[in-house]
Amino acid sequence: MRNVLLIAKFTWLEAAGRRLIWAIGLLTVLFLAFYFMGVEFLLDSFRRRSEALGRELSGQQLLIPNAILVLMGMYIVNFLGGLMAVFTTIASVSGEVDSGTIQSLLPKPIRRWEFVLGKWLGHLSFALPYLALLALALVYGTALMTGYAPPDPLRAVGLMMLNALFLLTLTVLGSSLLSTLTTGVVMFMTYGLGWVGGILSSVGALTGSPNLERFGQLTTYVVPSDQLWRGASVYLQPEVLLRTQEAARGNPFVGTEPLTAGYLVFVGVYILVTLALAVLVFQRRDF
Amino acid sequence: MRDWQSPRVGAMRLAIETRNLRKVFRGRPAVDDLSLEVAQGEVFGFLGPNGAGKSTTVKMLLGLTHPTSGQARVLGQPLDSLEAKRCVGFLPELFRFHDWMTGRQFLRFHGQLYGMSEEQIGRRIPEVLELVGLTGREGERIKGYSKGMQQRVGLAQAILNRPELVFLDEPTSALDPIGRREVREIIGILKGQGTTVFLNSHLLSEVEMTCDRVAFVNKGRVIRSGRMDELLRERLEVELRVDAVTPGLRAALAPLARLTQEDGQSVLLEVESEDRIPAVAEAAVGSGAKLYALSPRRKSLEELFVQLVES
Repeated sequence: MRNVLLIAKFTWLEAAGRRLIWAIGLLTVLFLAFYFMGVEFLLDSFRRRSEALGRELSGQQLLIPNAILVLMGMYIVNFLGGLMAVFTTIASVSGEVDSGTIQSLLPKPIRRWEFVLGKWLGHLSFALPYLALLALALVYGTALMTGYAPPDPLRAVGLMMLNALFLLTLTVLGSSLLSTLTTGVVMFMTYGLGWVGGILSSVGALTGSPNLERFGQLTTYVVPSDQLWRGASVYLQPEVLLRTQEAARGNPFVGTEPLTAGYLVFVGVYILVTLALAVLVFQRRDF
Repeated sequence: MRDWQSPRVGAMRLAIETRNLRKVFRGRPAVDDLSLEVAQGEVFGFLGPNGAGKSTTVKMLLGLTHPTSGQARVLGQPLDSLEAKRCVGFLPELFRFHDWMTGRQFLRFHGQLYGMSEEQIGRRIPEVLELVGLTGREGERIKGYSKGMQQRVGLAQAILNRPELVFLDEPTSALDPIGRREVREIIGILKGQGTTVFLNSHLLSEVEMTCDRVAFVNKGRVIRSGRMDELLRERLEVELRVDAVTPGLRAALAPLARLTQEDGQSVLLEVESEDRIPAVAEAAVGSGAKLYALSPRRKSLEELFVQLVES
């Protein structure tokens, strides 16, 4: 366990040493600044229009625009957080192999599984809190400006973190098996596959095509990313919005049904199996 | 690798022993039936042409590569033993390190990997820096080091834990002649401390100067091994300069040595050992030749290497 923590700590040192932390921090501040500026402009235009109409703007009237604003913001945060989890982890193991640094690491008194687990822990301890911080900053920053807070942001963030954890673990598996470049391409395709699956099942629902819907649902078991986001989005929408979405049916970007406990267990097992596979694959490799 | 007891425990402690070690990459054997014994405390040279399986052997002994079959022990332990790994150091041939670290960060991290305490690390880092000649440069990033300095910091990493056994794979490939001499001195110091040194090198003159014993490998097998002085003594050459090479002289020398080369006034002989030299002189003089010079020439390791690999 000592070695797992040592490798995890090393991941942080590396992120700092390569100035990754600063780059991400700076761009994140920029992203939030743009988002909040957008919120401000929107609020401003609402206020001006209601003044022109000589009407008082009530919080109730702004509920749906505010909710959509937060939902869109969180959609981007989910995308950014997931991608960040992938990109920061792509080279986690393969980078050491590609560059040859592995040759001075593995002869040390450290087990190979400790190495992989350390890398996984190090990267998740970086990517997951990052996602949580970004999401909460967005939700509570908007709440401060508009007075609107989504019904259950913590649960939504939890699901988004689960998605990031899934992507990150799959990336560690790729990185333990393939080169950095190949891992990147594979993960990009995987991410796209989840997306396409989600859209297909929405289109299926919209057009009333049960086969297409079933096919789309099947992909949610291969790449649960999109499904996890839909599950998260349920906790970000007030009742009114949920009912509107239900009536409209098949919005490809949000969901209306909370995820079942069974599905969450499936995702948990999926992640554990992926991690175990990463360890196994790495154990067997020659360098 | 499994339950295999060293046959020579008690007689001589072996730092490395392999039996029929074999590694096949995609149907092609890189190491084929390699049996090797390295005693503790000796400086062992592992020689062979490119692609002979030297690096693969080292990688198997270090747990980087899994043997296809065969058995091996390092410091009396199976290959996956952490206990043995704690007492082993390694400088890879293609030394690449985390170059965003400073020299000190790098050594500290590797000390932690060895399982050393902070106190041990703090004490040991200045010592190894001094030894490899990097004192004063430890605060700089490895990225800014020259190739030679990178190899030096790699060497420092390999001996940081005061290993009982250290593998040096082409340790002077990036060094200038002075750096090479320094590495030879370091190897001497390690030997003085009782450390076993396993040296992979193409620089035969260096191996000749530093190693106690060598093994020649070709196509994944050991084709010859032995004490350096014995291997070289076996191949003693003597040059005779006389007034004229006559049939009488040839006949007199024939039972004592093999004639390898001759021109009008000199012959080159190969003798079994130094003990034969007085007899050679007597025979030459006895045959009636006037002997102007008799000079023994040791065959170099390089000649032996070429001969072994080509045969």
